[in-house]
Amino acid sequence: MALLAVTASAFAPLASACPTVEQGFRRLASPDAEVAYRWEPAELKIGQFFTAEVVTCGTREQEPVREITIDATMPAHGHGMNYRPTATRTAPGHYRFTGLMLHMPGTWRVTIDVHQGGKRTRLTHEVILRP
Amino acid sequence: MRLALPGVAAALVLAGMAFAASSKRPVTFSAPERAAILAQGPWPAPQRPDPSNRYSGNADAIALGRRLFFDTRLSIEGRRSCATCHDPAKSFTDGKTRSFGRALLDRNAIALANLRLNRWFGWAGAADSLWAQSIHPIVDEKELGLTAEQVRERLASEPAFAAAYQHLFRSAVTDDDAERVLVNIAKALAAFQETIVTARTPFDDFRDAVERDDAQAMARYSRAAQRGLQIFVGKGNCSVCHFGPNFTSGEFEDAGVPHFAEKGRVDPGRYGGIAALLASPFNLLGPYNDDPAKAAGIPTRHVEQLHRNWGEFRVPSLRNVARTAPYMHNGSLATLKDVVRHYSELDEERLHGHTGARLIRPLRLTTQEAADLVAFLETLSANSGGK
Repeated sequence: MALLAVTASAFAPLASACPTVEQGFRRLASPDAEVAYRWEPAELKIGQFFTAEVVTCGTREQEPVREITIDATMPAHGHGMNYRPTATRTAPGHYRFTGLMLHMPGTWRVTIDVHQGGKRTRLTHEVILRP
Repeated sequence: MRLALPGVAAALVLAGMAFAASSKRPVTFSAPERAAILAQGPWPAPQRPDPSNRYSGNADAIALGRRLFFDTRLSIEGRRSCATCHDPAKSFTDGKTRSFGRALLDRNAIALANLRLNRWFGWAGAADSLWAQSIHPIVDEKELGLTAEQVRERLASEPAFAAAYQHLFRSAVTDDDAERVLVNIAKALAAFQETIVTARTPFDDFRDAVERDDAQAMARYSRAAQRGLQIFVGKGNCSVCHFGPNFTSGEFEDAGVPHFAEKGRVDPGRYGGIAALLASPFNLLGPYNDDPAKAAGIPTRHVEQLHRNWGEFRVPSLRNVARTAPYMHNGSLATLKDVVRHYSELDEERLHGHTGARLIRPLRLTTQEAADLVAFLETLSANSGGK
């Protein structure tokens, strides 16, 4: 399985405050990193390209984010996406990943890796797509 | 031996009775199965003009494309046309294992139908638009074998084509550079091919009956096809790749079919397709894409060539499948029964080791299950059985 790493920004400035659920964001957190994210379009569909907006925030927000990557795999199928997303930093701590696409029904595992404060932390979220 | 025979005969009779009983039993679908069945339609699916082709849906382009599709002047020796390998009488295939143009080709002639629903074209997805795909056989030395300059000369030498070209493209064929002429006629060919849409099928009637909860209409669909459908969306895992109204993900999988085109030479499949796509001046990131927003080029912008793409080929639509034998990228399976047997007895060693798709595993179907799955697949063609 190939891991498709997408580097958004090395040596990025400090992270920022977490956007809210009202703004359409959900959170993923661990003791070492926290992000808020939302999809565009909000509802993911099989075979439809989408954008991920990711904001690093929360407990470690004062530490610089050196790198942030996003990937999606389908554990039951043993491999991931057929497409490599493109990453851009839109504001300090704000990242936009375009060109994501989940091409089969089933359970997908979206991973966001945050390299912050000398640690690389993996945050995961499962997406279930039905035909 | 004699003493044993009656016992064997009795066992066979009992097995036969069990089969007869199970074959008459009504098929009931769970809620997830029902949802999966509904997701395979409705049909026909809505189709929009191709934004990358300004002539998509244009009546004049369709008429010119139709004439070009059947015209043998679009081949170097003047003996072949697009229709040679994509014969309407054979559901736009040639019925051969591997096509023969000016030489034996590596792959089976893929059926041309419902093409507006495709993201990628050809078995390896070497083209990201129907018009770009239409260029390939014209200039391929093993197929129609013309150069762009020869295409322009042939159009210019035929007054009817020259007039139609000028009327549609607003310039004389002799004034346009050869590459532009090639792209223009490919766009006309694409406009015609987009009109090839398969008709509704017995499955579509059943699917709509399920949606309406119309038991009487559902009962017109054979029990064997219903059982086969249940395998298709369940145990068989078929609908994981063959989903949606067009029965395909539109993407690529390694289905465990040997990918040697000949001894010592591998067909690279999707791996080579991506390389060809990205090298092509006709891809949707190039100057011939008519869509100012370039939205149709998003897949090409983001597609990534991976090692696992070796041995992957495009998941074909199953619409009209009973009419498009033989099957797989190299036409190596002659019948639907052979295809079902392939997936039932799949040689996992053929898959690409650890990178292979784990969802593709031998199905180990019983004889009845295999027959039922074939019965279902046969209902995906218009005017097929299943009733």
